[in-house]
Amino acid sequence: MKKLFKYLQNFCIFLLVSPFLVVWVPSILDGFLTDLTPAYRSSLVLSFQQLSITLLATLLAAALITLILGYISILWSAIGKIIAAVLEAIESVPAILIVLFSYAPVASYLASHSEASSSVVSLMIFVFAATLTILPESIRGITLPLGELYYQKYSISFRSYGFRRRKILAVLMGTDVMRHAFKRIAAGILLKILVLDCSFGFIIQLGFGSYGTPAHASPGALIAANRDALFQGGSPLLFWLPVLPLVMISIAFLLVLTNNKENEK
Amino acid sequence: MTSYPLILENFSVTLFDRTLFYIDSFIPEPGTSTAITGMTGTGKSVLLRALAGLLPAYPFKLTGSMKLNGFSAYQDGVKTNYKTWNQIRKKGIVFVPAESAQAMNPSLSLEQNLKLLAPDSRDLIEQRLNEYFGIDFKKFAKYYPDEVSGGELQRITLMILLSRQGDLLYLDEPTVNLDRNLRKRFIQFLNQEVLTQKDKTILMASHDIDFVRALSMDKIIALEDGQLKYLDALPESSGYEKPKPKEITGPGLELQKVSQHYKIRGLFGEHDFYAFRNLSIKFSESIIYGILGPSGCGKTSMIRSILRLIDGTTGNIVLDKQNLVELKQKENGNDPAAFKPFRKKMSVVQQDSRFAFFPDLSIRDSFTQIFPQQGFGVEDDNDLLETYMDKLRLPFELLEKMPRNLSSGEMKRMDILRSLISKPEVLLLDEPFAHIDFETRTLVMKAISEYLAKNQVVLLVVTHEDFDLKYFIDEDFDFLSIADNKQRMTRRK
Repeated sequence: MKKLFKYLQNFCIFLLVSPFLVVWVPSILDGFLTDLTPAYRSSLVLSFQQLSITLLATLLAAALITLILGYISILWSAIGKIIAAVLEAIESVPAILIVLFSYAPVASYLASHSEASSSVVSLMIFVFAATLTILPESIRGITLPLGELYYQKYSISFRSYGFRRRKILAVLMGTDVMRHAFKRIAAGILLKILVLDCSFGFIIQLGFGSYGTPAHASPGALIAANRDALFQGGSPLLFWLPVLPLVMISIAFLLVLTNNKENEK
Repeated sequence: MTSYPLILENFSVTLFDRTLFYIDSFIPEPGTSTAITGMTGTGKSVLLRALAGLLPAYPFKLTGSMKLNGFSAYQDGVKTNYKTWNQIRKKGIVFVPAESAQAMNPSLSLEQNLKLLAPDSRDLIEQRLNEYFGIDFKKFAKYYPDEVSGGELQRITLMILLSRQGDLLYLDEPTVNLDRNLRKRFIQFLNQEVLTQKDKTILMASHDIDFVRALSMDKIIALEDGQLKYLDALPESSGYEKPKPKEITGPGLELQKVSQHYKIRGLFGEHDFYAFRNLSIKFSESIIYGILGPSGCGKTSMIRSILRLIDGTTGNIVLDKQNLVELKQKENGNDPAAFKPFRKKMSVVQQDSRFAFFPDLSIRDSFTQIFPQQGFGVEDDNDLLETYMDKLRLPFELLEKMPRNLSSGEMKRMDILRSLISKPEVLLLDEPFAHIDFETRTLVMKAISEYLAKNQVVLLVVTHEDFDLKYFIDEDFDFLSIADNKQRMTRRK
């Protein structure tokens, strides 16, 4: 029964994140939503495509940096203290401000170059800024359980057997406790980036309009562009179409998060 | 009509495919006290947790029914709804876990914990703590649980839990971490303040027969072969015939003016707190030394400083004419080449053996990784492994299991096996028998004594228990009398 429930839950999560798969095979949508203009359809597809790239790239970058910094923090506590102080400073600044500030040095480049190269640079900047904003939380998410496993549980026994700290940490990194921690951190990162991406898209759409820089195609920007459709005429579908998949994807990440919390208990 | 606080019928608990116990009927009289004894791993703690509604649905499986204060708590092995359990809890069930400090919320101060757990009993708790444990609660109230020593936290938690309102009291191995003096005072407290009142129905699980004997319990039950059996009297604890140890030939282990300090973060930066100072003592081979002393006095710190696994040690620790402190001055996660041979000579069994093996590997796979570290392959010593498995009555199938699937007693014996098989020249046992019953304890002591009869070993045992002193220890020291602890650490690092 428990297994069946788990399979069902995994299937639900798969269904909820399916918009990301659909946008990469847009022909699936051919028979549907025929009333939409081709421009809107391509914006919708493009925004979710870019969101999926952003999420994946940020997740990979953050995971790599988190693993390295988290590991170093436990291995050498003096360096860990410095890293913690830097991350605390980053955390004290609102995430959206960090993203906006990160664009400042490249604003003129984005405005003066072609849309294609501008989009790539914009994506890179966003991934950099988003990674920076989530690092405090994700590193804490690694170092707290790893530190507890090492310092409060396994260090004395395993060091007394002659294992090096590095080897013990490597083993502990692969334990169930840490695997659950990684999953929870990944879901948390994805959820936060999703919100950040859409908020940023929404803000630059409001601030710069469709001709503004940076060229950040996001469902948030699409929602902002069609916000008037709700109350001032036009098809409300244009507003709700990007909202619905975003809600679905957020629920999927929340499900993974709560599932992992229960496993930890 | 008598209203029984607890009625168990056809009640059983199964762990994976192993039935731990089956109870056809158990109805204690209201206001009576019952001690449940039995070997480690028979399911005493599981029974109490089930009675308190704290047993998780997985991996345990329950059958039968249970009524608490007239409310149906379990029906056909299924826990009844939240509303019913809320009513049961309102009537008052007090569960005191073996690691009683776990009952404290670490994010609340001791004062806040008290208000949460026993809001109506503050005066009583203060008076009891002062009278029986010599603790002035007012001084500790503002501290958080991790800011006081383990011993202090345990005493405070015990008194808070035992002063809660409720007519059902479950005590699970309450003396596990109490030193000898505190145990005596705790016995006095239970006899004078809890057992004579007859206002609570008390169930207490304990493997410590001497402790149970000292209490005025109404009934004694043994949990054996999965069943509850009433006993007329407690079995006499018996020792074992100690084999003659090997003759002393080597210099042993000598501690010369050893001090151990920790860095404590205070308002004006870090400063030193001493766990102990100027400890000078010589431990010869072939003698079993018992180190006694109250919780938090520095015994475990001494073991760790000998192992060279903590910073802040000064003085000389001399083994084989080498000063270990000089060979390894700092613990940075790796041993210097000169110290490595000494690492192989020393072995430790800690109080908590749950973390002695790799968490996600079978015991056999853990051995495969650990033994080469200590200089030999598990294949070469398969006979030795089998011999010790036999001696410690550990079934071979346990080797294929994960650490989490072993009971605390099995885990402890496996840890001691691991330690003996590494053929140490210095064996350090830090409260090694705290969680195991007397029968199993005798078995383990015999295995260690036999090892001592064949090998030149320095053996130190940190212990609180009279049983160990009576049957195992050759010479004992009060740690406070051999180390200068005037500035000892009262607050944990």
